[in-house]
Amino acid sequence: MAVIPNSQVFLFLSQILGKGILDVGGQVRGKVLDVVVAVADLYPPVTAILYRPRDAKTPARLPWNKITDIAGRVVSSSLSSPDAPSGNLGEGELLLKESLLDKQIVDTHGAKILRVNDLHLLKVNHNLFLIHVDVGFRGLMRRVGLEKASDKFFQWFFDYHLADHFIPWRFVQPLSSPALLRLKIAQNRLSLLHPADLADIIEELDIHKRTEVFQSLDVETAAEALEETDPKIQVRLIENLNPAKASDIIEEMSPSEAADLLGDLPKEKAEGILKEMEKEIAEDVKELLEHPEEKAGGLMTTAFATLPPQATAREALEFLRHEAENLDLVYYLYVVDSEEHILGVISLRDLLLASPQTALGDMMDPRVVAVKLEDEKEEIADRFAKYGLKAIPVLDEENHVKGVIPFKSLLEVVAPQLGK
Amino acid sequence: MVSNGSGAPPAFPRNSGEPEKEISRKGFWKTLGVFFALFGPGIITSNVDNDAGGITTYSLAGSEFGLSLLWTLIPITLALIVIQEMCARMGVVSGKGLSDLIRERFGARATFYLMIALFLTNLGNAISNFAGVAASMEIFGVSKYVSVPLSAFFVWWLVVKGSYKSVEKAFLVACLFYISYIVSGVMVKPDWADITSAFLTPTIEFTPQYLTLAVGVVGTTIAPWMQFYLQSSVVDKGLKPEDYQYARMDVVFGSIIVNIVAFFIILLCAVTIHQSGVQIETAKDAALALAPLAGKYCTWLFAFGLLNASLFAASILPLSTAYTICEAFGWESSVNRKFAEAPQFYGLYSIMIILGAAVILFPDLPLIPIMFYSQVINGVLLPVILIFMLILVNDRKIMGKFSNGWALNLISFSTIAVLIILSGSMVFSVFL
Repeated sequence: MAVIPNSQVFLFLSQILGKGILDVGGQVRGKVLDVVVAVADLYPPVTAILYRPRDAKTPARLPWNKITDIAGRVVSSSLSSPDAPSGNLGEGELLLKESLLDKQIVDTHGAKILRVNDLHLLKVNHNLFLIHVDVGFRGLMRRVGLEKASDKFFQWFFDYHLADHFIPWRFVQPLSSPALLRLKIAQNRLSLLHPADLADIIEELDIHKRTEVFQSLDVETAAEALEETDPKIQVRLIENLNPAKASDIIEEMSPSEAADLLGDLPKEKAEGILKEMEKEIAEDVKELLEHPEEKAGGLMTTAFATLPPQATAREALEFLRHEAENLDLVYYLYVVDSEEHILGVISLRDLLLASPQTALGDMMDPRVVAVKLEDEKEEIADRFAKYGLKAIPVLDEENHVKGVIPFKSLLEVVAPQLGK
Repeated sequence: MVSNGSGAPPAFPRNSGEPEKEISRKGFWKTLGVFFALFGPGIITSNVDNDAGGITTYSLAGSEFGLSLLWTLIPITLALIVIQEMCARMGVVSGKGLSDLIRERFGARATFYLMIALFLTNLGNAISNFAGVAASMEIFGVSKYVSVPLSAFFVWWLVVKGSYKSVEKAFLVACLFYISYIVSGVMVKPDWADITSAFLTPTIEFTPQYLTLAVGVVGTTIAPWMQFYLQSSVVDKGLKPEDYQYARMDVVFGSIIVNIVAFFIILLCAVTIHQSGVQIETAKDAALALAPLAGKYCTWLFAFGLLNASLFAASILPLSTAYTICEAFGWESSVNRKFAEAPQFYGLYSIMIILGAAVILFPDLPLIPIMFYSQVINGVLLPVILIFMLILVNDRKIMGKFSNGWALNLISFSTIAVLIILSGSMVFSVFL
């Protein structure tokens, strides 16, 4: 985009709103109420201006191509026939004041919820584009009408140059209405956030927006964000969904997180969701649900890899490559007999180093550090600390492998008590 | 597992976490249970309302005019319920705080000046509460140079280092201590027949002192900050529109409790100080005057109540102010964040506490003019906020089917009109 250096090139929305509209003869014909842009990924162009004509109650729409000048004053070439009644926005159009100014947005780059103080526009040739959202103190002062005064004050009092705080439009996700969230620009920008950041943002929103934002996410993003969300809020979010959609999201979660969540839901809702879920995943989750959350059985996941001792290293690697997508834990492979009794453990490193023909039975480490289903989290934490493991298998009374606790799951339980 | 397909419910024997919800059980106990799970905002807000300024005003009302101002508590309670109910409803329906709604509806400029006024008037309130701490601790023989810095630090530490759960629990416990006023009121064995008739018979004296104090009683009970605090707490609780009835119960309950406490303070001062003809000017005077008339335990109870109220309000007011302002300007605001993550929030909070405490410690600062102007700003701010609230609660885009009907509008219009006339006359009288 070629930018011709010119003092009138940049404009703020606050400088346009409320301004009089002049006809070519210089007569004031109305007042600017709002600015319409067509939503685009990079720089949304202004397509029209909403204005209140003199002696009229209802706002009228003035297409951009009828405006001959906007810097300094708004001049229009023809005001005689407003093209369309104002209320109807076209497909993919957005009112800047109504849906952005003073409203909350998500800055997907900084992973924060912010409030819009002003909007920064750029005029290139004959087009006006929305380029930045102003969230800074200086923007606020501009709205209040004290921009110059506060600039001077900060310079004089603190010797500090008050700078603008802009966010480029491509990092902005508007929140003010469900329609804006559904607006797939390229994709919903929230999915660009790290799931943990997205979860923080969801927790911070009010209850209505929280649901709107969550429901606008695709299934995979929703599942990842949900895993990181506070359990109480998880329940609220899932309760507001129908069982089919809820089960789609829960299937994408790891079985142990899914079990924790279903355990917190009201019984009827949980049953409804389990019925909708794929049978295999539902079985896994139901099994995990039987164990108390704070004990080994409640911390473990069932998505881990077991193989018989006759399998070779090559077969094991093939198996992992094939299954890794569905596993919560790939670093350890557990060797079991035909009745799922534990025989030994092999790390991914061992597997990579071993010659492809070696049978797992010959290379496995038979000294398996494991815990029992009923073990408390403190005992489990001790094992992790002592043996420096990344995961621990959970055995029942007859040494059947029932599940595996990845270090991450334990950390989530233990972390809140650290440093206190 | 469930293989027979007969729909036998799978068991969920999770013994950690909350006790199982019994969906089928209905009726009184369930209602009560839900109420206790959701209550808090209304009761805390109302009790903070009886802060040092409130206790002083009630003491003055009782000791100067005896029981004759007691009846005003009935209309005040009703007005409080009407206004707080609107806030709670807006919080539940919109899921947004009041300053959030004001910013989105009325724009940056109005919000900016409103927030400056709110900051100044709340700062005045914070000062009066640290003055209350100083006064009550002096009755126990503790110098204000010890008590004020210590309490300021305690209040600051509670929020900056504590978590919100512990803070809310501490606040709910503080609410219980208001009982000390009721205990001292009963201890002086008043003539209940007299009191009942004074309570139920409105009387008005058309003297400037009487009217000033009547306006003072109203002004101290219905303050601008409360609407912001209440609505934000309701939002924080995450109440859904279905739970709205519990929020309303909470508000009604809280408004009644606050006025019961006010009732006992006025009564206590009326039957002791007023009857003996002693002149008092502050809540500390009132507490000290009680010793020869009602015994030293009564003084101690009164002073303890004042200390509790002052500390309680001194922690909530700065918190509520910081929260409200940050919400309006989109700054990070949460007691669950660290200092560096929410600098404006903790900055505002700390400034209010430090300034509030410092004014009390520097004897040369003009305390009385400061308090006076803070009351004036309060009187100007309240009508503006009440009018904004009326516009918001009637906005169908925000409130949908929960917006005011004509009957509710009639009640709230007349309540707000009376309050505006009262605070207007208060501001006007200042310049006479």
